[in-house]
Amino acid sequence: MWQWLYKLGSPRHFYEMTTGFVPWLTGVSLFLLIVGVVWGLGFAPPDYQMGDSYRILYIHVPTSMGGMGAFVLLAMMAAMHMIWNIKMADIVAKVCAPVGAGYTALGLITGSLWGKPTWGTYWIWEARLTSYLILLFLFLGVMALRAAYDSERSGSKAASVLAIVGVVNVPIIYYSVYWWNTLHQVPSELGRDGSANPPEIFIPALFTGFAVIGLFFLAVILRSRNEILYRERRAQWVQDLLEKELADV
Amino acid sequence: MSRSAIGLGGSLGATLQRELQLAFSSPGRIVNPLMFFVIAVSLFPLGGRMSPDQLGTIAPGVIWVTALLAVMLSMESLFRSDFDDGSLEQLLLSPQPLYFHLQVKVLAHWLVTGLPLVVISPLLGLLLQLPAAGYAPLLLGLLLGTPALSMIAAIGTALTVGLARSGLLLAVLVLPLSIPVLVFGAGLVDTALNGLPLSGVVAVLGALLVLAGTLAPLAIGAALRISVH
Amino acid sequence: MNQVRKQKFLIVGSILAGSIVTVGLLLVAFDKGLNAFITPTEIAEGKVNGSHNFRIGGMVKKGSLVRKGTGTQIEFIATDFNEDIPVVYTGVLPDLFREGQGVTADGHMDASGVFQADTVLAKHDENYMSKEVKAAMDAAEKKKTGKLATEGAHP
Repeated sequence: MWQWLYKLGSPRHFYEMTTGFVPWLTGVSLFLLIVGVVWGLGFAPPDYQMGDSYRILYIHVPTSMGGMGAFVLLAMMAAMHMIWNIKMADIVAKVCAPVGAGYTALGLITGSLWGKPTWGTYWIWEARLTSYLILLFLFLGVMALRAAYDSERSGSKAASVLAIVGVVNVPIIYYSVYWWNTLHQVPSELGRDGSANPPEIFIPALFTGFAVIGLFFLAVILRSRNEILYRERRAQWVQDLLEKELADV
Repeated sequence: MSRSAIGLGGSLGATLQRELQLAFSSPGRIVNPLMFFVIAVSLFPLGGRMSPDQLGTIAPGVIWVTALLAVMLSMESLFRSDFDDGSLEQLLLSPQPLYFHLQVKVLAHWLVTGLPLVVISPLLGLLLQLPAAGYAPLLLGLLLGTPALSMIAAIGTALTVGLARSGLLLAVLVLPLSIPVLVFGAGLVDTALNGLPLSGVVAVLGALLVLAGTLAPLAIGAALRISVH
Repeated sequence: MNQVRKQKFLIVGSILAGSIVTVGLLLVAFDKGLNAFITPTEIAEGKVNGSHNFRIGGMVKKGSLVRKGTGTQIEFIATDFNEDIPVVYTGVLPDLFREGQGVTADGHMDASGVFQADTVLAKHDENYMSKEVKAAMDAAEKKKTGKLATEGAHP
């Protein structure tokens, strides 16, 4: 286990180990997405109050959680990069910021599309929505700071500091609906007797949820592989790989 | 042991004295943020034709946002000259603990840039027709909030001090992190105008100040080490 | 204790003390309440004064909704099952505005103790159900509570 993790920390091993994994992850994620979307949009029963508009939540809930999860991943990778100077951690931190920002933006957009028919407004300045908007700003700040430095090394360390400072926002987002009387509802409790979500509504959410998570990791892995090839472009193993690819063509 | 305690206290005192002397030797560092604050706030009534009631409603938000911008713009002077003349590097290399020196440095900076903003804020409340019940919470909120803003902004300043043109980037980094202080600071005045109890909001502002005061120096230190490299 | 260790001790101590004070202050804050909405009880207790704008939150009391004129003049009662506040609003209500459901409104209190709302938003809870399930659950609920069930006592 440790050895496996240790190997994953080396860009070359990360690249080689993920080569076979990518098509598999792509297939599974797309399968889950198609099943979840078709089931959720086409077959799940309408909600007794919201009618059909609740179906937006099949995308809203996983992308919003994905945005928060991406920031936690970003901060963890930033910390590993600061403390142990692991190259691979910095690569993942760099590539997951734009993906996380995209998820966060999707969460905001789908949320406001749901808010209009449900609450009666696209946007309201309350704790959950505001703290989630700050999350998007923090992603953009981390990306801007990294880009502002000419040296990759200094830029990555500076962005790491900001990511670690900014991660305090994530628990604030999560608990905002409990701490304040927000307009945003609290998450549905799962697995409780008389669960808030009956299976015919809940199961499609599992499919889209895992699909969205799978697509997130797919994007991070694909972007990491590109970044690895770019950073190690002068290394022998990349040259060999290139030659092999060219020979195949 | 007692000798080293004096050593730490003495060196912190020397830092405070140095920062204050530097500030008073170039009065622009004190006056410019203050002028920005006053001028920017007085633009709002000119920018839209508003009734005194409407003006009073937006007054807490306008004063707080402008104070935040003034604090941020004043931050340029916190590390810039030290960075240029190499004394920042000396500070990082010195055996004295960086943590406390950064606390003192930001405190000194707040005394000459943030505190004047707090003192002049009632005048701006007057310009914006702030109702009478709003003045005490405005002062109290700014007194707790602006040092927290200075601490937070200092993180962004430390991250960007090595860059040639950092103004806009500093804003992008610092403004999102400042939003909680802004929300509760302006919220304190609103709460008072509604006649609701203030103690909860004051406690949050206090918590934000203590949190920023104790944790931000760690981030500022780490950021300075990156910038000086 | 040597000097370096003493300094480390002071720094760690300061961070610890700061964290403890922060948590303590936050606990005080949550104890005092940091509500984004003002509840009908708080209004009834006279905690709100003046004609300043604020946001109230509560439930639409069952059977209290009245439409006047062309249907855009709306009156209802916001309740927190302790106190009731009459609300007046002119405009289009959100689709999910229902009696017995959560509601928030921005506006101010007038001299006669009526809340004059400028905007009304419907709050949705975390329960999602199909119509059939809802009907079945309501039937089961009625059976269980029998004749004791009274209108509007459903929390």
